[in-house]
Amino acid sequence: MTDASIFTEDVAGTQIKIVHISGQLDESNVDEKIKEVYHVLESNPKELNLVCDLEKLEYMNSKSIGYLTDLYGKISDSGGQIAIANAKPNILDILQVVGLTQLIKTFGSIDEAKSSFSAQPATPAPAAQPAAPVAPPQTPQPQPTTVQEPQPASPQASQPAPQEPPKTA
Amino acid sequence: MDDKTKITITLPTNAYFMSGIRDFTLTMIKNTTSFPEKWAFRFQSVIDELCNNAVEYGSSPGTEIKITYVYVKDDYLEISVEDTGTGKNKTTAKDLKKLFDDRRKEGYVFSGIRGRGLVKIVGEWTDEISFTDREGGGIIVTVKKYLKDVRQKITTEEINEPNLTFHNKITL
Repeated sequence: MTDASIFTEDVAGTQIKIVHISGQLDESNVDEKIKEVYHVLESNPKELNLVCDLEKLEYMNSKSIGYLTDLYGKISDSGGQIAIANAKPNILDILQVVGLTQLIKTFGSIDEAKSSFSAQPATPAPAAQPAAPVAPPQTPQPQPTTVQEPQPASPQASQPAPQEPPKTA
Repeated sequence: MDDKTKITITLPTNAYFMSGIRDFTLTMIKNTTSFPEKWAFRFQSVIDELCNNAVEYGSSPGTEIKITYVYVKDDYLEISVEDTGTGKNKTTAKDLKKLFDDRRKEGYVFSGIRGRGLVKIVGEWTDEISFTDREGGGIIVTVKKYLKDVRQKITTEEINEPNLTFHNKITL
């Protein structure tokens, strides 16, 4: 199995969680490693604001991107937001070619990503509300979450996006 | 180095080996071709996606997949990945091409975790793609990327640019 690790950091007093992803996410490990992120979602079913810190991520394959897309759908549906920080140029390049950077904002630092959430401050989820369990989708079966992905048709779409806060989603 | 370089690698049907193949691809393209570094990373993804499909669907455990790199100096890089046809998907080159073409159509929605690699990565980052039935079973997927292609109006100056974008003929 290729080396990869995912660990989560809480930002005290907020609904923000930072997921640090490092190594190489590929076919040999992604199904196992991504469970950590789904566990974070399961533990924070409402209005989770998630920063994916990709500073030490060296490689990700299309299935990893499929999982990110699925997470985007689930988090958005529950009133939360997701952002990507510190991605290397080759990672941004692949996120862009599949159109994910049109769904998920990318930033040059974790602080910038966190600040982007302040536009819509999260409110604590009611403690009494039971949450439906959230689990990583079983592959290769299609999942209920359907996200209309933009098509990166223009030649410019092949270039990595500058890591600046986009104007508005 | 000769004007034409051909490298063939055969590996067991197991995703475990793909990390090494990606490392080799990156180093080989950086050190022995004129493609900019950005493209070394892109080919790394192209190879990985093609091989993952071969491992997942084309060749059964205990059999093999074969990767062939052909680099013609200052012209193009061609990569072929072939499976044995013993995997869980009994499909033909014609069917795979139809699947590829269908998913390239404007408005196609990718709704699952899988399925983006062939169209959105391999298709976007190569100039030509072909699917061929292999003698004895299996499919060969061959992709080609031109270093400078007058048909795409890529100039030598652009090739030397660090942020080079090759205009793919495929429009999604």
